[in-house]
Amino acid sequence: MDRRQRIGYLVIAVVLAHVILISAQVNAAPGTSVLQSVTFGVFTEVQRWVASARAGVVDMWSGYVGLRSVREENLRLNAEISVLRLELQEQRALAHQTRSLERLLELRETVALPTLSARVIAADSTPYFRTLTVDRGRDNGIRTDLAVIAPAGVVGRVVGDPGPRAAQVQLLIDRNAAAGALVERTRASGVVVGTDDSTLLMMEYVSNLEDVRVGDEIVTSGIDGIYPKGFRIGKVIDVEEGVGLYQLIYVEPIVDFSQLEDVLVVLN
Amino acid sequence: MKTAYVAILVMVALLVQTTLVRTGAGGGTPVDLVLVVVVLTGLQRGPVVGLWTGTFGGLFQDALSGGIIGVSGLTKTIIGVGSGVAGSRFILGTVWHRLAFVIGASLVHAFCYFGIYSLIGLDGPMLPINVVGVEAGLNGMIGIFGSWLLRVMPAMFHRVRQGRNPLNRRRWMTS
Repeated sequence: MDRRQRIGYLVIAVVLAHVILISAQVNAAPGTSVLQSVTFGVFTEVQRWVASARAGVVDMWSGYVGLRSVREENLRLNAEISVLRLELQEQRALAHQTRSLERLLELRETVALPTLSARVIAADSTPYFRTLTVDRGRDNGIRTDLAVIAPAGVVGRVVGDPGPRAAQVQLLIDRNAAAGALVERTRASGVVVGTDDSTLLMMEYVSNLEDVRVGDEIVTSGIDGIYPKGFRIGKVIDVEEGVGLYQLIYVEPIVDFSQLEDVLVVLN
Repeated sequence: MKTAYVAILVMVALLVQTTLVRTGAGGGTPVDLVLVVVVLTGLQRGPVVGLWTGTFGGLFQDALSGGIIGVSGLTKTIIGVGSGVAGSRFILGTVWHRLAFVIGASLVHAFCYFGIYSLIGLDGPMLPINVVGVEAGLNGMIGIFGSWLLRVMPAMFHRVRQGRNPLNRRRWMTS
């Protein structure tokens, strides 16, 4: 057997092995648990270390740059604090009024969601999927399908088997992601899904009869059992009448997914 | 030693891609550094090394990604072998040849990747033409820099081991 033949057989063997590996996953649960969990577990430790080093360098640099304009910023922040204090007084009065109204209507008090903060340590290894890796895993109580949020709004959900100290998060802008949603103004419900454009979401299954306008806020409806109700998803930027029964609603996500550094995992 | 060198290259590419470039996050830079390493390794070291680099690089990428394990492994294996065969049969010495080759390999890789997903019939990633085009261009540019680095790095390490100045350009070229 000459060298060229040997290479040919090797290529065929490796390609066949890949085809078998892919075939084994098509009709089963995705992922080969041993390979995936070992690779994910080991590699995320290295990613965590690199991400910490990167964050350290960025913090040091921004600290240095920040010092240069600290006086002006201090003055500006003091002015801002004065305005915010005034607003806080107003909000307190408003909250008091709301609590009184809630008691009047015998509504239950909203229970704060148990959350866990997590730092983003890595992104997806291919440019085609939109996932992130966070530095909290099974040891911290993270499970599959827990919602992940940021101060601005919904980020995504935990997917796959979380490692002991890291977990993978599917972003809401991933093409395979979806969340039950409501138009805040009219309470028209539908499903928000990711598109192939990373800056755009689509709201599906909203009837042509519903009143949806550009600028309407879209929030989670809670019917999917993953995302808690009332969290902001985005803002409607375009509405078209669909061919069938449903409207084509284009939503701009409220969260800037390219700048995510820290997120909260909703534990309940 | 050569295997370790290639393995380190793949790991570094994967680490840089996931932690520093953040390709997968929304609005991130669409580059595939592992693919660039696979193509350059194949061109430089032949089809067998290209095959193994593609297989392991792709499988690692799959294991860390949200997709099916083996898709990237298979496509990168094909690209690695193809690059190796091309490198052993054609002279791709100039910058333009290498740029065109890496861009072509990126397009073929994307075509195979999305092709496999559509053959499987599962909801995989979509083929955003603009993303694939930008990715191919960026891969090509990184490929030029990478091929230069791959050419000079062994000589630089050799110089460092000998305790000589590794940044003397004339010495890199003559080593």
